[in-house]
Amino acid sequence: MNFQSVSEPVARQDATGRPAPRISGQPKIELKDVSFFYGKSQAIKDIRMTLPERAVTAFIGPSGCGKSTLLRMFNRIYEIYPNQRAEGEILLDGENILQKSQDLNLLRARVGMVFQKPTPFPMSIYENIAFGIRLYEKLGRTEMDERVEKALRRAALWEEVKDKLSTSGLGLSGGQQQRLCIARTVAVRPEVILLDEPCSALDPISTAKIEELIDELKEEYTIAIVTHNMQQAARVSDLTAFMYLGELIEFDETNKIFTSPNNPKTEEYITGRFG
Amino acid sequence: MVSLAESNAQDRQSASSRAKAVKRFSTSDAVFKNVTRSAAFAVLAVLAGVAISLVAGAWLAFQTFGLGFLITESWNPVTEKFGALAPIYGTVVTSLIAMLIAVPVGLGIAIFLTESCPRPLRRPIGIAVELLAGIPSIIYGIWGLFVFAPFLQHTLQPFLIATFGHVPVLSSLFAGPPYGIGVLTAGLILAIMVLPFISSIARDVFTTVPPVLKESAYGLGMTTWEVTRKIVLPYTRVAVLGGVMLALGRALGETMAVTFVIGNAHRITPSLLAPGTTISASIANEFTEATGDLYTSALFALGLVLFVITFIVLAIARLMLAQIKRRAGE
Amino acid sequence: MATYSGRKTKNTVMMTLCAVAAAFGLMWLALILFDLIYEGISGVNWAVFSEMTPPPGDEGGLLNPIVGSLIMTAIAVAVGTPIGILAGTYMAEYGRHDKMTNVIRFINDILLSAPSIIVGLFIYELMVRTMGHFSAIAGAMALAIIVLPVIVRTTEDMLLLVPDALREAGTAVGAPRWIVIRSVAYKAASAGMITGVLLAIARISGETAPLLFTALNNQFWSTDLNAPMASLPVTIFQFALSPYDSWQSLAWAGALIITVAVLTLSIVARVVTAQKEDR
Repeated sequence: MNFQSVSEPVARQDATGRPAPRISGQPKIELKDVSFFYGKSQAIKDIRMTLPERAVTAFIGPSGCGKSTLLRMFNRIYEIYPNQRAEGEILLDGENILQKSQDLNLLRARVGMVFQKPTPFPMSIYENIAFGIRLYEKLGRTEMDERVEKALRRAALWEEVKDKLSTSGLGLSGGQQQRLCIARTVAVRPEVILLDEPCSALDPISTAKIEELIDELKEEYTIAIVTHNMQQAARVSDLTAFMYLGELIEFDETNKIFTSPNNPKTEEYITGRFG
Repeated sequence: MVSLAESNAQDRQSASSRAKAVKRFSTSDAVFKNVTRSAAFAVLAVLAGVAISLVAGAWLAFQTFGLGFLITESWNPVTEKFGALAPIYGTVVTSLIAMLIAVPVGLGIAIFLTESCPRPLRRPIGIAVELLAGIPSIIYGIWGLFVFAPFLQHTLQPFLIATFGHVPVLSSLFAGPPYGIGVLTAGLILAIMVLPFISSIARDVFTTVPPVLKESAYGLGMTTWEVTRKIVLPYTRVAVLGGVMLALGRALGETMAVTFVIGNAHRITPSLLAPGTTISASIANEFTEATGDLYTSALFALGLVLFVITFIVLAIARLMLAQIKRRAGE
Repeated sequence: MATYSGRKTKNTVMMTLCAVAAAFGLMWLALILFDLIYEGISGVNWAVFSEMTPPPGDEGGLLNPIVGSLIMTAIAVAVGTPIGILAGTYMAEYGRHDKMTNVIRFINDILLSAPSIIVGLFIYELMVRTMGHFSAIAGAMALAIIVLPVIVRTTEDMLLLVPDALREAGTAVGAPRWIVIRSVAYKAASAGMITGVLLAIARISGETAPLLFTALNNQFWSTDLNAPMASLPVTIFQFALSPYDSWQSLAWAGALIITVAVLTLSIVARVVTAQKEDR
C-alpha cells in the first residue's frame, strides 16, 4: 500500500500539467491512463485522476461524455456484456482491479453501486437487504435482523418500512425504492459506493432526502456520483470532475470548479452554454 | 456512527469470510454454466436423435426399394411391396384443401379482430381463438368421425356429386358415392383445426404494424380495407407467409384429426370423396399391427419422408417469422 | 383511382367478408364445443372416474386411462421442465450472444411444431425396440420430448424480458452470475415460466400420436412403468373407432374431460400472466 500521501495535502500535476485538486484524504481509487472501448469505438480516453477516501467525487458533463461508462469501470460491471473492454490501471487501495486475476464478485462486494432507475429485486423488502449479506456471511436470525435494520436506518428508510418488511420491494414509491437500493448496497459493507445518476428518476423531495443521505454516507464511504444536475454536484460533492467526449477536462475541488474553472470548456458547460 | 477501529475489525472479519465465499462462487458458477449449456445442447441432441433413429428405422425399406419407394403407389403387406406415393399424395392434397380454406378465412378473422371488431369484443374473441388453437387434435378427430362426416355424407357430398357430376374434370374430382369419410372430409377437418392457429399468428403479426404508419394512411383518407390491403398486409407480408407455412407444417404432420376420417386406403384416386391416407395416418393406423421388419421399416421410411418435408416447411416458416422479429427489434 | 363511393363500397364489402369469416370460423369452433358437451356430458358420471375400462359392449369407466395419463404427464413434466428451463437459461443468460444460441433456438422452434408422431417413432426406436416391449416410461419420455421445446421457448422469452438493470443490480452487490439468475432473474420471470409449464401440460394432455406405439394401451389397472399403460387419448382413439355404443360413449366422455382440462389449464395460465402484468 501507498502511504506517502496520507494526511498532508498534496498539490499535484495531472498529465496535461494542469493543477490537480488538493487532496486531503488518502487516495482510495487511482486511475492511470484509463481507456474504455465499446467494440471498436473508444468511450474513455486516457484518464488519470485520484479519488480520495471518504469524500464525494462528482462526475459531470454532457450526455455521452463517458461519465457513466467511467463509473461502470470501478466495479467492472461492464464485464457482463461482450465486446466491452478496458485499458490502463485502476488502483483500489493500490491494487490494480483491472488485472485478470481480480475476482469480480469480490470487487463488487467492495465497490457497491446504485443505479439510475431504482432496481429493487423482485422479493420482499427484508430479502432485498438480506440477499447481499447472505452471499458472503452466514448470520443467525437475530444478527441478520440487526443488519437489515441497521442498513435500512442508514438509508433513512427504517421508519417508513419497519412494519412491512415482508411485503414486496416493488410496492414502495420511487424514492423509497432508491433508498432501499442504497440500503441494500451499504448492507454488504462496501468501501466505495458508486451512484449513477441516482436521482434522475425521482421527485424533488426524494432527491433532497437522497442528497442528505449522501452527505452522511461520506463519513464512512468513498463515494463517486454521476449526475446530470449541476446544482446537485455543487451541493453534494467535495470534488468535481468535468468530462467531455470521453476525456477528463478538469478535476478540482467543487468550489473551484463552480466558481473559477480553469478550462473555458468547463465554464461554458457550468454556465449552461452547451450540454 | 461506526468508529474507524470497529469498522476495520469488521472489514477484516468480512474479508476472510468473503475470500471463502468467493472461492465457492467461482466453482459453482462454472458448474451452473456448464449444466445449462449441456441442457441447451440436449435440444440439438433430440433433433439429431430423431433424425438418426428415423434413418436407422427406414434403412431396410430404402435398401429394399431404393428411391423408387417414393414414387411407388402399391402398399401390400401380404406381398411386402411398399411404396409411399399414396400417403404422400394424401398428405399433400389434404393439406392443400386445408390451406385453401383456412388461409383466407383465418386472415379474415385476424383482419376483423385487429381492424373492425368492436373494442369490447376484441379481447374475448381473441382469447377464444387462442384457446381453440390449443384444443388437442383428437377432439377434432372424434368430432369429425361422429358428427362432421355423417353431416357431409348427407349434405355437401350429395350436393357436390349432383352439381359437378356432369361437368368435365370436376366430375372426376367429385366422383363416387358419398362415404362421408375421405380425403375431402380430412382436408376440411384440418382446415377447421389450423384456422385458429392462422388467425392468432396473423393477429399477432398485424399488431406489429406501427400505429403511426396506419394513422398516417388513415390521415390520407384511406378506407379500412385500403389500409389493410396497402399498409398492413405489405408491411407484414413475409411474417404472414411464415405463419401460413407454420400452419402448413402443422397440417402436413397432423395425425389424429386425419386418422379418424380419412378411411386409410392406400390408393390414389382423383375423387376427393374417396377414402385415402396420409403419411401420419398410415403410421398411426398400421404401426402396432405391422408384422415383419420390412413393414415396420416401410412405416419408418414414411416417417422419415414426413420429417424431411415438415423440417423444410418449418425451417422456411421460422426464417420468415424471424424477419418481423428483427424489424420489431429495431 | 376509383371514385370515392366505389372505394367505400369496396371497403364495406371486404370488411363485411372479414366479419363473415370471423362468424364462420367461430361457428365451427362453437359447434365442436357444443357437440362435445352434448355428446360427452351424458357419459360423464361417477363411474367414469371410479371404474376400469370395460370389455367390449360392457359398461365401465375411464379410471385406468385417467390415472395413466396423469402418471405419464407427471413424469414427462418432471423430466422435460428442468432440462427445458436450464436450456432456456443458457440461451437467455450465459449464451445470449453466442452464435450457437441462434442455432439452438432455430432447432428448438422446429421441434416445437414438429409432428408428434415422429417423436413416437423416435422413442420406439430408442426405447421400445431396445427394451423389447412397450412401456409407460417410453410413453412418458415421448411426452417429455414434446414438453421440452415448449419450456425452452417460454423460459428464454421470459428471461429476455427481465431488464438488464436488474441483472446489473444483482451483480453490483457481489452476487455471482448463477445466483443472480437463480434469485433475481428466475423470480422476476416466474409467472411467465409457470405459464410455460401449464401450457406444456395442456399441450401433452391431449397428445395421442406419440403414445400409440410407446406406452401402447392397457385394458387393466397398471401403475408399472415398465409395462404398457392406458392413457386417455389412446383409449379415446380405440373406443371411438370401435362398433360398441358403450365404448363410443366413453370416448365422448373422455374427449370432454380432456377438453375441459386443457381449457382450464390455458385459462389458469392466462390468469397467472395477467396477474403479473397488473403488478
